[in-house]
Amino acid sequence: LYMVASCSAVPINDLLDRASQRSDKLHSLSTMLTQELDSHFPPIGRVLMPRPSMCHTSSLQTPNDKEQALQVSESDLLSLARSLLQAWVDPLEVLSTNANTLPHPAQNSIFNKIQELQEHSKNLEDGLDILSGKMGPAAQTISSLPYSGGNDIGQDKISKLTNFHFLLSCFRRDSHKIDSFLKVLRCRAAKLQPEMC
Amino acid sequence: FFTPHAKGTRYSPPGKPALTRCRSPEKETFTCWWEPGPDGGLSTTYRLYYRKENSERVYECPDYHTAGENSCFFNKNDTTIWVNYNITVVATNALGSTFSDPVDIDVVYIVKPNPPEKVTVAVMEATGWPFLRVSWEPPHKVDTRSGWITLIYELRIKLEGEDDWEMHLAGQQKMFNIFSLRSGGTYLVQVRCKPDHGFWSEWSSTSYSKVPGYLHQEKSVWIL
Repeated sequence: LYMVASCSAVPINDLLDRASQRSDKLHSLSTMLTQELDSHFPPIGRVLMPRPSMCHTSSLQTPNDKEQALQVSESDLLSLARSLLQAWVDPLEVLSTNANTLPHPAQNSIFNKIQELQEHSKNLEDGLDILSGKMGPAAQTISSLPYSGGNDIGQDKISKLTNFHFLLSCFRRDSHKIDSFLKVLRCRAAKLQPEMC
Repeated sequence: FFTPHAKGTRYSPPGKPALTRCRSPEKETFTCWWEPGPDGGLSTTYRLYYRKENSERVYECPDYHTAGENSCFFNKNDTTIWVNYNITVVATNALGSTFSDPVDIDVVYIVKPNPPEKVTVAVMEATGWPFLRVSWEPPHKVDTRSGWITLIYELRIKLEGEDDWEMHLAGQQKMFNIFSLRSGGTYLVQVRCKPDHGFWSEWSSTSYSKVPGYLHQEKSVWIL
């Protein structure tokens, strides 16, 4: 509570600037992870990989071009970003648990990066909580997108790698959305600092 | 009698075309290019088809002209992001059709902007020593104002006649000062930009700037 009180002195545009730096990092990390996995991915995995519409977050209605995104209100943009982040708490834990035993030569580095992802997500979530508190009730709405995939990502090598890769590619897309929404928000908040946007 | 041989050529269905590249300059439109295969000695047409994730409906390329030969341009209305496009090119002649390997793309992962524009280099002076002030504007197609794309810039500079460029990362700034110049030298400057998640643009065209011969004068005074 004390932390929250002391943070409330930070202006919204500073908070948004920090938040979008984190979300930028989050997406870059997920891109690095995808490339690392790609380096030793069985060709059959590409055939077996579920379609992106199977991602557990795909039911969330999000804008899908610039025109739509710029029409969304500030509080709705924040609410979308928070809903997506919230939806990844459990599946990131699943990735983290399974990274330990992933049949991949870069397993160690993948495990460390997943941990970093979790840390960044948590920090970003805390930051956005504070922001939403300042932006009013509409920004506090969160859509629930439960992950029903369970803790086990597969028995054999191929299905482990395929499901891990699939989850990560879903996260990669969502982290890009989160980052895009936050950067649009940042520029709206920074209208008085034209050099930034 | 009728022969399918003309000048020793045997006619055949077209060879396999290949989708070589897709690029979006601003996260709002994109273009894909392909390499035609052998035409089998017959007049061959190329058509591009695509399907978006979540739909079985197949669409044909909306615009074969805007981006030149062997290309398909998707304007703002035809471009959706965070959605995979499954794209195939089909080559057809009188003897049959050949499909390219399909390619899956999401527009957000193929963003490569045009180079920065209006790159200007001015010789400035601070306490008697000249420095170069390089300034530029983002490529006009890219919307950086709304935050849709965030660009960072890099510039490189070299003396005329030298081989190696000196690189400077400018971050989000649209201006950069360069000190410790060679007196009397002509400098070449280029700038490029990178979106927050995407690829470096090509370098801008070269801007030239001649630094006045200030050391020269000083030296001659010293010798006297």
